[in-house]
Amino acid sequence: MSQDKPDIKEILVTVKQLLESIANRSKGGERYDALCGAFLIGVVDRELECDRHQDERQRRELQVLLGRKGSISDLYLQFCQQVRHGELDDQWPAAFDFALQQVIDKVSVTKPDYLTAVHRSD
Amino acid sequence: MAEVSEQQAELADSVAKLQLALKRRYGEAARVENVSIATLGASNRTLLFDLVEPVGQRRLVLRQETVKSEVSPFISPHDQFEILNVVYRHCVPVPEPIFELELEDDLDVGYVMACVEGETLPKTLLNAPEFAVARQRFAAQTGEIFAKLHAIDPREVAFLEKVVDSVDPLAAQISRYDAYCEYHPGLDVGIRWLENNRPKEKPRVFVHGDYRNGNVILSPDGIEAVLDWECAHIGSAMEDFGWVCLRAWRFGNINQPVGGFGPRDEFYQAYTSNGGQAIDEDEIRWWEIFGSLRWAVLNMMQADGHIRGVRRSLPFACCGRNTSMIEYDMLMTIDGQFS
Repeated sequence: MSQDKPDIKEILVTVKQLLESIANRSKGGERYDALCGAFLIGVVDRELECDRHQDERQRRELQVLLGRKGSISDLYLQFCQQVRHGELDDQWPAAFDFALQQVIDKVSVTKPDYLTAVHRSD
Repeated sequence: MAEVSEQQAELADSVAKLQLALKRRYGEAARVENVSIATLGASNRTLLFDLVEPVGQRRLVLRQETVKSEVSPFISPHDQFEILNVVYRHCVPVPEPIFELELEDDLDVGYVMACVEGETLPKTLLNAPEFAVARQRFAAQTGEIFAKLHAIDPREVAFLEKVVDSVDPLAAQISRYDAYCEYHPGLDVGIRWLENNRPKEKPRVFVHGDYRNGNVILSPDGIEAVLDWECAHIGSAMEDFGWVCLRAWRFGNINQPVGGFGPRDEFYQAYTSNGGQAIDEDEIRWWEIFGSLRWAVLNMMQADGHIRGVRRSLPFACCGRNTSMIEYDMLMTIDGQFS
């Protein structure tokens, strides 16, 4: 359903700017809370913008790695259990690469500038 | 607004009870003045106050437990107070332990210790010009403190043997992680690597368990006091080395591994020249990777407290999302790209 302006992006920017201005004129706990709020609004903004095919890509990779089908959450569970029990030790490089890429996908949303240059998508 | 009033009422109640607790110990003339709340910590609430008596006054700190959970990674305030007594006796720089709360104080569980003046905020310590000398001294002073701490006979803190982290620290972290029923592929890959590369058994020593930038009070001259003993246990000396060098505790100064302050060689040299055991750099690397697992699980704990409404706060909400960055550190360290 189409909504009137401002759109989500503009609303988030507005709230983020408010929180940053509160942080700039505050101290102690209030300043820290405002900074955390602004950080979380940034996370929401990036999560809405992020590659919607990310889950699908991870699901396809896990299906190949684990040799079974399922939802992304089922496959995460299966992957974690199999890694934990050493059942993917003979595919360690592929398991490691999947885990690292999955983490990079998450950090791209949480704090993209935390990634080293080689892992940044910008 | 209602929440603020509730907090104020809670504070007023605590101060009234504290006043009674002090009168019981120091006489009717004793009173509480100049109360302030330090930032809410991960596991404790910290209240600063003046104990005023006819003979004079002194600044003290009340520490009360805030995390009560079956999977809490923290030792009891009673054991923390015992530890403070032990390390104070051995001249490790810590606040002087004053008294432990008792049932009739009606202040829950906790203890009172002396207030040590100084700074604990990591970013301030790493950037403010007045701490330039303290920054230079930090790595070597930490080596000296670790040597003193690890030389304490573990039998003096034998009650720590029962702590799950003393038995098998990796199993303890896995158990805590599993309690949150979350699935993090990065953490499980890290756990498998840790299992496959466990270090050989070393002599077991008394370890602080949470010595890092943020848990140490610094003056411009250097380290004044080591705080936050709630993760103390018996284990490998190298565990303390791995934790203080964890990437998260460098606060952006990634090229200064010892808490963002200084280099490893000064740190290791100060430790061995003060009687510490031989340094095992491979084992320290293992503990740094282990430290990422532990820090990730602690962040999950804070986020869980927020989500379940036990301790709702924006910083704790952020903790849940911070986990991904810690997993990144962990995997990049395993991969040899971070050191």
